Amino acid sequence: MASVTLENVTRMYGAITAVDHVNLKIKSGEFVTLLGPSGCGKTTTLRMVAGLEKNTGGRISIGENVVSDSDKGYFVPSERRRLGMVFQSYAIWPHMTVFDNVAYPLRIRRKSDKEIRDRVMNALRLVEMEQYAERPSPALSGGQQQRVAIARALVFEPEVLLLDEPLSNLDARLRTQMGDEFRALQQRLKITALYVTHDQSEAMALSDRVVVMHGGKILQVGAPEEIYRRPESRQVAAFFGTPNLLNAKVKDCRPNGGQYYKLDVEGQGWSGECHAATEMPRGTDVTVMVRPENLQIREAGEANGGLSWSGEISQAIFRGPHRSIMVKTPAQTLHVETPSLAEIGIGRPVTVAAPSDAAWAVRN
Amino acid sequence: MTIIHNRSLDDIDDTAPVLGGNAITRAFSGGSLMRLIGMLVLILILGFLTIYPLSMLLYGSLHSTPPGMAGEFNLDGYRSIMTTQNLMILANTVGISLAKTIPSLTIAVFLAWIVARTDTPFRGTLEVLITLPFFIPPILTAMAWGMLANPQVGVINMVWRWLTGAQDPLINIYSYGGVIWHMCQYSIPFLFLFMVDAFRAMDPSLEESSRMCGASRWTTFRKITLLLMLPVLTSSFMLSFIKGIETFESALFFGLPAGIKVITTDIYESINHRATPDYQYATSLSFAIMGLMFLLVIAQWAVLRGKSFQTVTGKGFRPNVMELGPWRWVTFAFCVLFFVVTVVLPVGQLLLGSFFRFFGFYTYDMLTLEHYRAVFSNSEFWRAVRNTMMLGLLGATATMALGAVVAYISIRTKWRGRSLIDGMAWLPWMMPGMVLGVGFLWAFAMLPGPIPIYGTVWALLLAYIALGTPVAVRVMTGSYHQLSYDLEECSRVHGASWFQTMWRILVALAWPAFAVGWVLTFFGIMRELSASILLYSVGSETLAVVLLKLWANGNAEQVSVIGLMMMLLVILFRWVQLRFIKARISKL
Ligand SMILES: Nc1ncnc2c1ncn2[C@@H]1O[C@H](COP(=O)(O)OP(=O)(O)O)[C@@H](O)[C@H]1O
Ligand SMILES: [Mg+2]
Repeated sequence: MASVTLENVTRMYGAITAVDHVNLKIKSGEFVTLLGPSGCGKTTTLRMVAGLEKNTGGRISIGENVVSDSDKGYFVPSERRRLGMVFQSYAIWPHMTVFDNVAYPLRIRRKSDKEIRDRVMNALRLVEMEQYAERPSPALSGGQQQRVAIARALVFEPEVLLLDEPLSNLDARLRTQMGDEFRALQQRLKITALYVTHDQSEAMALSDRVVVMHGGKILQVGAPEEIYRRPESRQVAAFFGTPNLLNAKVKDCRPNGGQYYKLDVEGQGWSGECHAATEMPRGTDVTVMVRPENLQIREAGEANGGLSWSGEISQAIFRGPHRSIMVKTPAQTLHVETPSLAEIGIGRPVTVAAPSDAAWAVRN
Repeated sequence: MTIIHNRSLDDIDDTAPVLGGNAITRAFSGGSLMRLIGMLVLILILGFLTIYPLSMLLYGSLHSTPPGMAGEFNLDGYRSIMTTQNLMILANTVGISLAKTIPSLTIAVFLAWIVARTDTPFRGTLEVLITLPFFIPPILTAMAWGMLANPQVGVINMVWRWLTGAQDPLINIYSYGGVIWHMCQYSIPFLFLFMVDAFRAMDPSLEESSRMCGASRWTTFRKITLLLMLPVLTSSFMLSFIKGIETFESALFFGLPAGIKVITTDIYESINHRATPDYQYATSLSFAIMGLMFLLVIAQWAVLRGKSFQTVTGKGFRPNVMELGPWRWVTFAFCVLFFVVTVVLPVGQLLLGSFFRFFGFYTYDMLTLEHYRAVFSNSEFWRAVRNTMMLGLLGATATMALGAVVAYISIRTKWRGRSLIDGMAWLPWMMPGMVLGVGFLWAFAMLPGPIPIYGTVWALLLAYIALGTPVAVRVMTGSYHQLSYDLEECSRVHGASWFQTMWRILVALAWPAFAVGWVLTFFGIMRELSASILLYSVGSETLAVVLLKLWANGNAEQVSVIGLMMMLLVILFRWVQLRFIKARISKL
């Protein structure tokens, strides 16, 4: 298995910059996900690693070997990069059986018949498709095609596996199941994987590290929990779920003893304590992010430490596992998630509270 | 009433357990009676257009004298076609068709690839230009090439002699090569239109995944692209081959003068060029060629059965075109060259021919407008224009209406007899225009006196409708398949009657296909020669017939003028089609 390094990788389409100076190092055996809204350059980045698209700037290396260096005009074509790829449309060849599809990379490499047979069946076993080997591939369901595509990408033991939204054509249940299975497989084989998705929950569930992209640029790279809890910018914060984002001013800032800083902030009609990554001077405008699931509803006036807002319940929606509650406060309407068993009365005055370590401030 | 209307779309016998009684009483209740009458009328119309001329053909081939004369039934016709000379003709027909299909297919594939899968500049415009020859009546290009590459006075050969001082002509269009070359000009754009969307629609990731598996571009092309395209290529090949056997113009213009005969020209000659027309020979030969066509169609069906792959996935598409670098100007030049050779040269020749007193003598003092004056003051020309326009407008409308109804019934209903009408509508597919012409010749002649179709424009109209119906049905079938049933059902759930539903939803949504098919049929009628030449009589000439008569009289100059007028018409209609009917033919 090999690492992948992107240095200042850029791709222009005419005047449009689809990928803009991307720097990224994927360690051997790591599962890294490119995440971002549609059109942000994820696919283009992946295809440049694959060699299906030429980078117009920068350098790409796989393991120790440079595979593309635009300054030197050096470019290794796709077929010599030893990468496995799973396409969004699966790209299963309809004129072949499942077995022939998976055997194709080995036949190209002129392996012996016996070796082909063994390795194809092994690969099919990995994705639990061995009983479908002789099926013509058009007779497969979406999920099965997906498995065949993965088997085909793995069968020649590639250096790196590239996946472009492989689950987006499946229905929601199958998507979760296939995702979990694939993650388990990746961990077992310790294969390096670069994965593209626009689905944040998929990205968080699967990856070691998530790369958040926007407009061709990387916004933040980090472990899923890191990015979810401690985004570096309002943009990243807004991308995951539907957090409450409140404007506030810094009143006081002090080190927390650990990695972070503790802030006292004040917003419109509320104030309290929260955390931040960097030191910020008094009077700095910040955005405070509090996730709905970390907010609690209390009786009016009841508060202890952290942050609190007073307001009244304007709306409550039963969602099964939880209840979405809208609380109208002088600052803005807050979205709160409570256990669905709690009794809620519309119009009731309440206090909304959050512990200080659940509130995260970023500079505007 | 509404309920019955609503039901009439699906077969009541199949789907309505709520209605009691036996099939007969149900069939005659309310809307079903109308339906029954409608189906009967449709079967009668289609029968008259297809089965009737076919049976008359059979009758004629077994009967010793032309229609209306006393004679006897015998097998002389079939005996007379069993000659070694006819074996030669058969070999010619098949050989020429093969010889034009292979290069046509190769070039068409190359052009389709250029337009659909490379970054060649101005691809959109090129696509319009290289498909134009498909819409030009072959008789026009035939005459133009007859002048361009005439061994004595053709411009190409004159330029060649002037350049090299040689005595011998560079090319002689009156040869096997000439016949094949002329056929190619028409079949390349036809095959291009037939295939280009398959190229465009192919999911590029099917090829990319092969590259990722370690296969080079070339291996990918051989093992993936070519094999995925094989069904389309095979059906293109068969189609082109079948069309090649049917063609008439190329062999008439360039084959006959050189003594090269094919089946269609042999049928034509046996009726038109003998002291007494040998109808029994012509009809027997027609029947024989139909047998050949039948075998080919069966072969086509057998080869293609279950061989079509769904290579279009729709999702996750990227506009994937190959970057050719400087080579893109080479591909560009190739497309331009094709256009120049197939359109600019012939049209240029017509222009040239129309302004000089004598064809072949291009000097300044020979310039004249007299041919234009002659043509425009010729009442036969204006009559032919009127006939052609009338036949085109009426024929295209009637053909498409018939095609729309037949396609609707065979696709969207479960009515009894729907496969019968579908089959009848498809029959002319196997009948070359020449054969259908012979069939109708007999069919009209055998009609009782009070129905005077024989020798009128109506004879031509009926033949055109019969010839156009298979394509009309195919075009409409394609569009009905694309419309979802939901739309139709949705409208009916909201209280529209069957008729309203038909009108609002289907007609509104299927209209683009109808319009495309209409223009296609119109073009088909404008270029039709082989049936027209048998069925016209004084007063019912079409432009193509007038052209042929003038050409036979050696009046190449007036031919050029009329040819240009037809060319203007073609360009006008093509422009209207591209401009106002957004859907392309190849979309269907
Ligand atoms: N072949 C191309 N020509 C021009 N622009 C392109 C091409 N491919 C992609 N782009 C543009 O590059 C940007 C990034 O595209 P892509 O990488 O496909 O985004 P994502 O996969 O994140 O949805 C988009 O704005 C897209 O329009
Ligand atoms: Mg994408």
